[in-house]
Amino acid sequence: MIDRADSNAQAFHQLYQGNRSWLEQWLSRRLGSGHDAADLSQDTFMRVLAGPQRIVDLAEPRAYLMTIGKRLLVNFYKRRSLERAYLDALAQLPEVYAPSPEQRWQVLETLHALDDLLDGLPGRVRRAFLLSQLEGLGYREIAVRLGVTERSVKRYMVQAYEHCLLVALC
Amino acid sequence: MLNPEPSEEARRVARSAARWLVRVESGALSEQDLASLQRWREASDLHEHAWHNAQALKGRFEALPPAVAMATLDRSKQGRRQLLKGMLGLAVVAPAGWLATRELPLAAWGADLATGTGEQRRVTLADGSVLQLNTATAVNIDDRQRRVSLIRGELSLRLANAQPLLIETAHGRSCLRSGEIGVCQDEIACEFSMFTGFADLWPMRYSALALRAGQRVRVTDRGVGPIGVFDVSQPGWREGVLVALDQPLGDLLRDLDRYRPGILRWSPELESLRVTGSFRLAEPDRVLTVLAATLPLEVHWRTRYWATLVPRKKIV
Repeated sequence: MIDRADSNAQAFHQLYQGNRSWLEQWLSRRLGSGHDAADLSQDTFMRVLAGPQRIVDLAEPRAYLMTIGKRLLVNFYKRRSLERAYLDALAQLPEVYAPSPEQRWQVLETLHALDDLLDGLPGRVRRAFLLSQLEGLGYREIAVRLGVTERSVKRYMVQAYEHCLLVALC
Repeated sequence: MLNPEPSEEARRVARSAARWLVRVESGALSEQDLASLQRWREASDLHEHAWHNAQALKGRFEALPPAVAMATLDRSKQGRRQLLKGMLGLAVVAPAGWLATRELPLAAWGADLATGTGEQRRVTLADGSVLQLNTATAVNIDDRQRRVSLIRGELSLRLANAQPLLIETAHGRSCLRSGEIGVCQDEIACEFSMFTGFADLWPMRYSALALRAGQRVRVTDRGVGPIGVFDVSQPGWREGVLVALDQPLGDLLRDLDRYRPGILRWSPELESLRVTGSFRLAEPDRVLTVLAATLPLEVHWRTRYWATLVPRKKIV
């Protein structure tokens, strides 16, 4: 076991040495920022280290790094777009409603988690669900807002609940 | 790294919990229903667990400030899909503000020509044909192939000579042989309206048809609707106006919403109010003011971008 762990650590070292700057460049081209690329590249290697895949067994290490890197890029862009939307929404609020930095952070974390949770739901389903959860609208009102039948709204809601619960159950 | 595929049992539990939640929320449950919900919850720990999860989920939403959370989580796919652009290896340019560019889908980033919400554009193609884009629209233009691809939104195309032009949409293609056609595409359908002249239509997976001036047809994945007629002399978005002739206010507001960045909401009581008038699209917020002046309603501004229309309170 010790031998295997050792050889894996060594393989990781080699992987890191041999691919770090390549990965950083690859990420940098997609991000347009060297700074973010350096962060994401570190994250990628951390994921590799923590992942289930034994590094010595990797046939195509760069393909593997790219797969993980892409996934992190997706998260990165999603976070950024959400944060921007949040800040824009805050900017529309009158001064008196401005939340404290702690409140902001808390809200933003919750928003991220829920955004991830709703990921993959079709646009109308997502909107129907948000109107129900955030604005507290009844199904009939949602139907009117979306210009669909109440039956469709029920279908959307079942789909959204099922999706969220399935994510939570796994 | 990948989430495990949910088991058949997890799916089953999630589905029945979801159905119960929707039954509870959609209105009066009888004593019997409630008892049977109770039995379902008690039947298995997994059921009870799912039910708890659902309540916790609702609690998380409730704890959020509604206006801000709505604006953030209901941001368009554009915002959420910007990430894909990185995947495609294109350089990333941050939009100045999400409101300005919201609603533009992924493909719109690489589009030849695009408009934001509330914007309109008119361009002349190489052969002199005139292409007009309505709000939140993106198109690709291939002059050599004489083809315009509508990625999203609404366009009109007026042919300059006898050489036909091809219009591609997600629901089929149209060959404009003479005159002018309007094409409007959303997530579920594509509508073709013939203003003058005629065109051939090849809906995806359905048989071809011909469209003549004054005719209009809607195509979805499920099929081709009946060919309807419309009044070609009535001004519309190409003239920068929205015309309502004794139509439900809800329809007008849904239309107006396409031109207005931000959130527009209205009470269900207002849905069927009849409205007649001609409104300038360049100033959607002014349309709201005009409506408030002419109909028994008032506009509440939650933020600069979030307007809610409610019935005007009667003076007692």
